[in-house]
Amino acid sequence: MKWLLAFLLASLAIPALAEDLVSGLSQDRIQITSNYHGTDMVVFGAIELGESHGAQAAERDVVVVVRGPAANIAVRRKARVVGVWLNRDSIRLYGMPGYYYVASNRPLAAIARAATLARYQLGILTLKPKGESTRLPRKGEPFRLAAIRIREHRGLYAEAPGRVEFLSAELFRVHVPIPASAPRGEYNVNVYLVRDGTVVSAQTTPLFVDQVGLERQLFNFAHDRPLGYGLATAIMAILTGWASSFLFRRQG
Amino acid sequence: MEIYLPIAGLSVHWLAVLGMGASVGFLAGMFGVGGGFLLTPLLIFYGIPAEVAVATTASHLTASSMAGAVAHWRRRVIDFRMAGVMLAGGVGGSALGVQLVALLRRVGQADLVVSVGYVLLLGSIGTLMLNESLRALRLAKTDARPVAMERHHWIHALPVKMRFYTSRLYVSAIPALALGAVVGILSSVLGVGGGFILVPAMIYLLRMPPNVVVGTSLVQIVTITATTTVFQSISNYTVDAMLALFLVLGGVVGAQYGVRVAARMQGEILRLMFAILILAVGARLFYGLVITPREIYAITAGTP
Repeated sequence: MKWLLAFLLASLAIPALAEDLVSGLSQDRIQITSNYHGTDMVVFGAIELGESHGAQAAERDVVVVVRGPAANIAVRRKARVVGVWLNRDSIRLYGMPGYYYVASNRPLAAIARAATLARYQLGILTLKPKGESTRLPRKGEPFRLAAIRIREHRGLYAEAPGRVEFLSAELFRVHVPIPASAPRGEYNVNVYLVRDGTVVSAQTTPLFVDQVGLERQLFNFAHDRPLGYGLATAIMAILTGWASSFLFRRQG
Repeated sequence: MEIYLPIAGLSVHWLAVLGMGASVGFLAGMFGVGGGFLLTPLLIFYGIPAEVAVATTASHLTASSMAGAVAHWRRRVIDFRMAGVMLAGGVGGSALGVQLVALLRRVGQADLVVSVGYVLLLGSIGTLMLNESLRALRLAKTDARPVAMERHHWIHALPVKMRFYTSRLYVSAIPALALGAVVGILSSVLGVGGGFILVPAMIYLLRMPPNVVVGTSLVQIVTITATTTVFQSISNYTVDAMLALFLVLGGVVGAQYGVRVAARMQGEILRLMFAILILAVGARLFYGLVITPREIYAITAGTP
């Protein structure tokens, strides 16, 4: 009940306070070429300090979260069976973000309490799927943590404390790296203004990430018209083999 | 320059892929094989997902076998009728194999089956070849001749007889169909052309004249690997055309040089080296199955 009340207050408070936070993106559409090392996006914004600035400046924090499109993933765990390692247990996590980046001006743990961070899913370990194929939370937990660990290792999930730079008392900026392996689709950039451990303002901006280039076209061809793609690949191989016998006969 | 393999989902250096295609092509040309059973494990060691490695190797085999088939076709030593019968079996086998791969992928065991299949295949073929080449080397020293063994002609008792003019045979189509089917399954599940089974089976089982065997098996490998490429594309989306292109280009060039080197080497030594290579690849795959992995969890995105 108390929680619900807090939630209602928070949702009422946001529009009223939204005035003191303004943010924008360097691009609202990102095109990544697959053979590239990804790209960089800039999120910038300004905070209105209000009357009593100076005293409040130290206690105000900015957290920027970029979330990729949610998708289902299967997580499998290997076990040793008669000496051989093979996939044994598996669960599905429904609706995990394909990309997640959280930047803040100082470590998240110093900004707000764990419960607040969990509610807004600030921090990679707070990421939770919308659903799991198991009903037992204790069974699903190691799989969720493993999925986060693997995606962190691939640069798809990242935490960047201290990466929100204040250019002045009001202006802030953060560079968000988008790796080449980031999924295409609709992203959301959320900027939170935190005062004394409480989220006082939030702003969401959509962002579209698209993969372009020859490799992407091949991928689309393979998935949209698999018969044509298979035939084209087979014919390419046959013609190359035929041409090679022709070329090398001329030479030898 | 890095190239991105859209289906495998990783960046590789183009020279590395071209080099893999060329070195396997070189060995294939040198030893007179397709080389699928070397290329697939090599791609897996490099980090390509097993099912993509299996499906894409088929294209490499199509190209290198095509080059060989054209040479045999010029000499008119191909039994197209036999190749056609085997292809009919092969299409069925390939379709079945592709469905098997789809099933294995769903339950997350494709990697395991490919690895275990290769360990068994390479282990048994390597051991057989090692024995055979060592015996041949010993015999070459004592100048003795192996005694030809007479085999039981159970093949001739089978129905559905067909006349194969080029091979000058009148035999049942059933063994050829079955042989085609086995090779079709192997090609789709393990990414091998199956020449190592086709050639001995055509000589000893079907009793085809040896001069026709190689050309006919090459035609069979071209058609079955091309069919498998199409089937894998439709059912599993695992054929990486970018990877295939580089492997094919490297492969056809490497094969030409392999053939030239082989002409200057002693056959028994060549086979001994080949047997050792096969066993080494098999041992490396076996090692990969039994060592404790660094990460025991794995994720697959985009599952329903």
